[in-house]
Amino acid sequence: MSDAVPSALAPHEAVTPSDEPIRGASLGRYLATKALGAAISLLMVVVLGFFAFRILPGDPVLSMTRGRMVTPEEIARLRREFGLDQPLVVQFGRYLADLTRGDLGTSFFYNAPVSRLIAERAGSTLLLTGTAAVISIVLGLWLGQRAAWKRNSGFDKATTGLALVFWSVPTFWLGLLLLMAFGGPLPTGGMITPGLNATGFAYVVDVARHLVLPVAAMVAVTYAQYLMTMRSSMLEEMTADYLTTARAKGLNEDGVRTKHAVPNALLPTVTIIFMTLGHLIGGAITVETVFSWPGLGYLTYQALSAPDLPLLQGTFVVFSSIVVIMNFLADLVYRVLDPRLKAA
Amino acid sequence: MELEWRDVSIAYRIRDNDGPRSLQAVDHVTLKIPSGGTVGIAGESGCGKSTLAMSVLRLLPKTSTITGDILLDGQDVSSMSFGQLRAVRWTEASIVFQGAMNSLNPVRKIRWQIAEALELHSKGSWKDEKGRNARVDELLTLVDLPVSKAESYPHELSGGQKQRVMIAMAMACDPDVIVADEPTTALDVIVQAQVLDVLTALVRERNLTLVMISHDLSVLASTCERLVVMSEGRIIEEGPSAQVMGNPQHEHTKELAAAFPTIGDPSSRLRVGRAGVTSKPSEPDADGRAARLEVRDVTVDFSTRGSKVRAVDHVSLSCAPGEIVALVGQSGSGKTTLARTILGLQQPTSGEVFVDGKPLPRRRKALRDYRRRVQFVPQDPAASLNPKLTVYEAIAEGLRIHRVPDDERERVAEALRQAELEPPERFFGSIPQELSGGQRQRVVIAGALALRPEYLIADEPVASLDASVRGEVLALLLTLKNTLGLGALVITHDLGLAWNIADRVLVMHQGRIVESGPVEQVLLDPQHDYTKTLLRVVPAGVTRDVNRGASRADG
Repeated sequence: MSDAVPSALAPHEAVTPSDEPIRGASLGRYLATKALGAAISLLMVVVLGFFAFRILPGDPVLSMTRGRMVTPEEIARLRREFGLDQPLVVQFGRYLADLTRGDLGTSFFYNAPVSRLIAERAGSTLLLTGTAAVISIVLGLWLGQRAAWKRNSGFDKATTGLALVFWSVPTFWLGLLLLMAFGGPLPTGGMITPGLNATGFAYVVDVARHLVLPVAAMVAVTYAQYLMTMRSSMLEEMTADYLTTARAKGLNEDGVRTKHAVPNALLPTVTIIFMTLGHLIGGAITVETVFSWPGLGYLTYQALSAPDLPLLQGTFVVFSSIVVIMNFLADLVYRVLDPRLKAA
Repeated sequence: MELEWRDVSIAYRIRDNDGPRSLQAVDHVTLKIPSGGTVGIAGESGCGKSTLAMSVLRLLPKTSTITGDILLDGQDVSSMSFGQLRAVRWTEASIVFQGAMNSLNPVRKIRWQIAEALELHSKGSWKDEKGRNARVDELLTLVDLPVSKAESYPHELSGGQKQRVMIAMAMACDPDVIVADEPTTALDVIVQAQVLDVLTALVRERNLTLVMISHDLSVLASTCERLVVMSEGRIIEEGPSAQVMGNPQHEHTKELAAAFPTIGDPSSRLRVGRAGVTSKPSEPDADGRAARLEVRDVTVDFSTRGSKVRAVDHVSLSCAPGEIVALVGQSGSGKTTLARTILGLQQPTSGEVFVDGKPLPRRRKALRDYRRRVQFVPQDPAASLNPKLTVYEAIAEGLRIHRVPDDERERVAEALRQAELEPPERFFGSIPQELSGGQRQRVVIAGALALRPEYLIADEPVASLDASVRGEVLALLLTLKNTLGLGALVITHDLGLAWNIADRVLVMHQGRIVESGPVEQVLLDPQHDYTKTLLRVVPAGVTRDVNRGASRADG
């Protein structure tokens, strides 16, 4: 690094190619690297999604027809229909070709295109997990930074203690507990009251009422990770010298916390937020099953019990892709938030 | 504006193995600085100087209690309400922190950080954003920084530039008192001189009251009229700078003053430490081919994002057994890369390293053998010792890696004794945290000595140590040279260190060795412009005799 120097020293100053920061110049390169990484991960998801379900034990056609009177001819016909009689390589080729058209195959169980089944239910899952994620993240981060700022206080001990208790509780157990406690005043399953046929505002209220319990269950078991990450990252920042600089300038404690400590403490939480966001969607399986929420998780649960091979494969590919895409987004957001990454 | 401490004591509540207790950081200090006065407070780490400085704006942790009066323009800071205090902060007194460290918020632009202070104390033309922006530009110009730096983030600036930003920020609200807390520590000598120039010029032009803190007496002497020396929370000596530097009365002051030797003063040449360890300059050996470490025409290039940076540029040097060679240069001159290359940690782009005429081996086993002979002493012992390992484990690790067949316990004890940690058994079970800075560096050196090396490569071995400890560690290096015939390549930015212990000195600049030779010749009669510049910027008080040396060279 070079410095502006008095003329007497100038000939001896180290010369750097450019003294001005190169900002944004390498954005394209950064994007390309990260996008390539994400693309490779996606490709592996696609390949894994096919083969993982082919090496599973159990014949899907036999399981589907269990308990029913079927002739071997019918079974052979079903096999042919689903393409299971073809060699693995041919099946894989067809799977890839279909995938490029956005076709994830046809569900054995529902006898409908998997992509349509997923698209139909994606909305309700996004509503559930999105609401839960927003509440969980805001709650966790806010409590985390408060707890750190007043570390070892009663507030700190109570909030971290409670969060860890919820974190360690099994989701289904908490869900059942919530159902037992609030099952009367609040709806216990589904997304809308059957037969109500509400529209407009009444519809919104109805969905919201159905949301309360599953969201509560999801928030309770997830917010601890945001709280603990934020708390420890905030504790690390609290001894930083630039906070003393801020205090010396005359900022009050709230200003020091919100304008200086929090923006720095947030950085490490970004990674974990995006990582968990990806998993939240898959992690909704338990909650959706307990509360019969008509989403992707519930769909996966049903596909598992069938077992419905194309449907499982489809949800697997979708869930995994979301995780990969979320990680890619995390890299992008991190770069926006932390100026130091731009130079690296 | 006048600043006064009237019988001030500051204590911290701390908790250690003996339970909660109180630690007296400042002990009945009375000090008055008249308006426009400049005072330097010196002392080693833990002497209470920073606590005293921070108390001006009551920037002390909640665990501290202050007794006595701290008067800023007659107002007692310690009894102000928090609101009053916030109004005083930065408008009447501001602080220049160690900008090279973490004193700037890493995720905010420079403009934002300076403007924040203006916004908090907005008055006159700073009420709107346009006025504040103009003021930020004006402040950056004041410290000789281009206005475009306002749009930079701290990590995009060099250490010296960050320190200028800190000064600009401190000047933002036109304060009357400036407290500078180690403003040039961690900067190398040339940048240090530039930053001190900027600061002293501002103080002079605006008739500011300056309180400056440093562990380096010579830095203070070159900027302040008066010096105050602190030890264990008390003021032990006080007086005009020239008097304190030239004729120190207190033992501790003498030690501090002696730690930074006068280049050209024969009494500090090859003579350091309290015990006054001395050494004869090593004779240049007759048959130059004899056992020695040699670097022949080494070049190291780094390529970063397409552009190539030449860190080491066709460097040749040698170090004989029983010879201490100092490699002097600014940060970024390629010193550390050269050291890594000699240790076989960095593959040179061209050229080779030889030991006893044989090239540095590339094969694992042979390289391991080579590394046993050439050992490394890193800069910061606090960071280079594994905090979880005991002293014994840390030293024995090298013996185990090299499968030394001897009795391990005996070798560890021997190494500790050689590093003057006695009795060695007492230190076996200690963990680094329980040791002082000087003891830690001795443990690092013992770790190197345990393998009975022939050469030590020491990278800034005393840069992170206190003044008195510095002398002890340098004395140890001299002793090792005398008793074990160890050769050492000492990398440093400190010319005084070279004067203290080195036989030969090499001056490195932008990857090249620009001047080399016996210490007396290079430091007293420098030929290259860069060496002259380095000598010129060593703070006054250390270079008294150099000027004489330089004039002798002129005549």
